[in-house]
Amino acid sequence: MTAAVETRDLRKHYVQGRGTVKALDGVTLRIEPGEFLAVVGRSGSGKTTLLDCLGLLLAPTDGQVILDGEDASRLGGNARAALRGRKLGFIFQEFNLLPGLTALENVMLPLRYTKVAGVGRAEAAALLDEVGLADRMTHRPSQLSGGEQQRVAIARSLINRPALVLGDEPTGEVDSDTSAQLVGLMRRINRERGVTFVLVTHDHDVASRTDRVIRLQDGRVLSDERVAPEVVSA
Amino acid sequence: MEIIRNLGRHKLRNFLTIAGIVIGVLALTTMGSLAEKTNLLFEGGVTFYQDHVTVGDASSQFGGVMRLEKADELARVPGVAAVFPVVSVPAKSDLSISFGPPASIVGVKDGYDEWSKFELRFAHGRDLAPGASGETIIGSDLAKELRVSVGGTVRLPIPPKEGLAAVPSREFKVVGIIEKTLTAPDNFAYVSLADAQALLKDQLPPAFRGSVDPTKLASSMDVFGTPGTDLDALAKRINAEVGDVKAVGPTELVQAFQAGSAIFTAITTGSALLALIVGGLSIINTMSMAVIERFREIGLKKAVGARTGHILREFLFESAAIGVIGGVIGLALGWALIELINALTASSNLSLFLLTPRLVLIAAVFSIGLGGLAGLIPALRAARLDPVTALRYQ
Repeated sequence: MTAAVETRDLRKHYVQGRGTVKALDGVTLRIEPGEFLAVVGRSGSGKTTLLDCLGLLLAPTDGQVILDGEDASRLGGNARAALRGRKLGFIFQEFNLLPGLTALENVMLPLRYTKVAGVGRAEAAALLDEVGLADRMTHRPSQLSGGEQQRVAIARSLINRPALVLGDEPTGEVDSDTSAQLVGLMRRINRERGVTFVLVTHDHDVASRTDRVIRLQDGRVLSDERVAPEVVSA
Repeated sequence: MEIIRNLGRHKLRNFLTIAGIVIGVLALTTMGSLAEKTNLLFEGGVTFYQDHVTVGDASSQFGGVMRLEKADELARVPGVAAVFPVVSVPAKSDLSISFGPPASIVGVKDGYDEWSKFELRFAHGRDLAPGASGETIIGSDLAKELRVSVGGTVRLPIPPKEGLAAVPSREFKVVGIIEKTLTAPDNFAYVSLADAQALLKDQLPPAFRGSVDPTKLASSMDVFGTPGTDLDALAKRINAEVGDVKAVGPTELVQAFQAGSAIFTAITTGSALLALIVGGLSIINTMSMAVIERFREIGLKKAVGARTGHILREFLFESAAIGVIGGVIGLALGWALIELINALTASSNLSLFLLTPRLVLIAAVFSIGLGGLAGLIPALRAARLDPVTALRYQ
């Protein structure tokens, strides 16, 4: 079966002063479709760089990123953007909703750059309904709570029917109750829709509710553990 | 829609930028209209003078008085086909401001129309009857100012509104109103040559008046050449062969008109363009600020699939929208201002502005183009932003 995303000996090095910072130093991973996993590690461990590389936002220094069967390692900026539009969804810590757009328009934003057959306003409205915001569609981000804004962002990450949704500290800006609700929502979507989620997080509670936890240290995979199903459901 | 909302995000800043464009387009519209009106007068002058040699008294050239016998001398110069004495006297005895050729009473010998390329058409009434006395045909602007129509009478020269006239005036019956020519004849009252000569005599100092036979007077003479004659060479020949006259060929006159026209256009449009460039710089400033403020927004759009071209287009549309809004308002205000000034000055025949379709097109293209061009540098910066840097910008 084709992996949702796969990395092979992925390296990202930065020249800093006279030295070289090895943000990623040979990461090899295979994430299957439908997985719900967390990438954890201390600050500077390379987890954000890994997310940027998986999200095709950053070109690696060496190695490969194969997204849903397509090798994106050597693609140019615009080709990477087009592939992101077709195969990826993003959820950011600070929601990153456009303040001038309504919730519905924010959900529909990716469709402006990538046309998906049969997907439009109705699908966006259905997604908002699915995340519990059916009555907030015409609200602007400033009229929504943090948790509601992140729900809009989750709906937005799904509008293009992605192979992979990447979350960058998706619960970092909300309280623990809201965090639990958001993780529960993503988990439900993962199960019901089979969407693959990769969440970069500092939060142990979030990591503990995933199926698999990849721990990074100094740009390398320190551990890659599957969490027991009973723990997940607890 | 999003463009309008984005512009609404920083109302004061965008209002000031749009105001800059409005002022620029307003300046371009009004200054351009002034130039268009002047050009039209110059063009009219070109048409008016290009088909003949104008001969005046050597000492004063125009506005002076020359003796009619000179016509016979001129007619003998090789290449001369016809000589028409022209008598021109000011239509107003008081001093008044005028833009373009002053209001004048003009008399020419019958048959002039057959030679001149400048054709007069009539809005109402008819041409002067050959040899008729006491009749006049009046240019459209002058007719409007005097509020006369065909069948009415008018005193020429027009007596001052207050005080006593310096020169006596005579009554004329209006037999025709000339269609608008947008140049000198709009302000002319044509009378027969004999009537014009009599009016010219009235204007001479009293000491001369008694000793002058008005039928021997002319202000200038228009000389038409035989077919194929080089009129500039003919002017030179006249100057060489006929004493006490100064002949001016069409090229010299047309060049003078064109030079005047070009300088005037350069000054007026130059100042307007300067205003627009300032407006353009303010667009660059505004859009650069907008790009910096929206770094994260740009990053997000790139993350969800926007390519370089998408971002470039969005920012270009936004800056072009500033240009369009500013252009439309500027054009509307310019049009209103022009109409207002023209209406206010209509009674004194001082129509200064002419808003032509060409000018509207220039203003529209310029404001949109300027908006787009000024937005190009900030838009390119936005489009080339690295998504990771843009997303994490604090």
